[in-house]
Amino acid sequence: MAVDVKTWASKFKNLTDNDETIQCMGKYYTCRFMYDMQDRKVIVEMHDGKVKHINTDPQPLDPYDFALRASPQTWREFAKPIPKPMFHGIFAASFCEDLKLEGNLMVLMQNLRNFTVQFELLRKCGVPV
Amino acid sequence: MVRHSPVTGRYVTIEVDGKEYKVFYLHNGSGQPLICQHTAGAHNHQWRGLLEDEEFTSQYNIIAYDLPRHGKSDPPHNTEWWKEEYRLTAEHYVNFIVKLCDALELKDPIFMGSSFGGNVALQLALRRPERFKAVIPVEAADYAPGFFLDWWRHPHANAAQVCASGVWDLMAPQSPDMDRWLTWHYYSQGSEAFRGDLYFYSVDHDLRDELQNIDGRRCPVVMMTGTYDYLTPPEATENTARQIRGGVYIEMEEIGHFPMSENHEVFRIYLREALRIIKERTG
Repeated sequence: MAVDVKTWASKFKNLTDNDETIQCMGKYYTCRFMYDMQDRKVIVEMHDGKVKHINTDPQPLDPYDFALRASPQTWREFAKPIPKPMFHGIFAASFCEDLKLEGNLMVLMQNLRNFTVQFELLRKCGVPV
Repeated sequence: MVRHSPVTGRYVTIEVDGKEYKVFYLHNGSGQPLICQHTAGAHNHQWRGLLEDEEFTSQYNIIAYDLPRHGKSDPPHNTEWWKEEYRLTAEHYVNFIVKLCDALELKDPIFMGSSFGGNVALQLALRRPERFKAVIPVEAADYAPGFFLDWWRHPHANAAQVCASGVWDLMAPQSPDMDRWLTWHYYSQGSEAFRGDLYFYSVDHDLRDELQNIDGRRCPVVMMTGTYDYLTPPEATENTARQIRGGVYIEMEEIGHFPMSENHEVFRIYLREALRIIKERTG
């Protein structure tokens, strides 16, 4: 059973804000991105390496820089402690599975180190779908 | 107590297609020459595990060089290289490797390379089979489109981090953190060369209509790919090996696109098997 989205948001923020790999180079990690899991969408707002806010009920005009969109099945694979091949990262899944990277990808690239580290925290906190 | 490694480094100057290169290489071991090419945008430290692995150095003369523009091998000293865009071609790459083997007087070397080093191993088997005892293309395929991207050196982003983190998930999650982060570190050093390397990897290297012209009986071709490689997935390598006469495919479990660098302990198991097959076929 999927974890409640507000519980998930709290866990994800806590893991991010206390992750040494992110925090040691967290300065300037500032952006807003959407995890689109079809059945559930969230917008994560980062500021200097910390989660400033997670919008768990985004409305049509709520802004973000870029989005990761995939099926709930794909997101559940991302969240396994050891994902199976091709679900073990955003490029793997965009090359070989149904993940779409959309929006201003320049912002993603500018923050790629910390974004990829943070994305793997899903293996610890799961996903709300 | 001084803790010197048995690995030594030297420079050798060679001329290739009119370009003068001062090439840096690491060396350890004795016996059958085994020359190793790093992946695109990286350098020879990717072979650090193999270079100090006594099981292999006791039987093989292992040489791991830095391709020009990588690690400690400078761009050519006799041209104004900064005035033209770097794009590695298959022809120049092959010529470089053969010239280096000649300069080091390597007799019947086995060539092993990973990723763009794996793809050039196929090129060597096609173009210069008489010069090599065998080739081991690691994480290679007949064609590997999709990675010749402007992101690798876009001035609006931190190219070092884009390259390093852009290849992060080419590695398997099971590989040790230290080795994955060392590989990340190498990739943070090579962003200016990475895109030019990938011109060869994703554009100029295209052997889809040439595989039938590689004779794996004359120059054995033993291909190995990790299950977590999304860029050259196992099926791409297997499909390539199947079309080469005498081609061999070995699938490596729980490892990715940089096997020698991300997890030597797993890689060595498969390498042992590849070298056994080569020995069996070449005597």
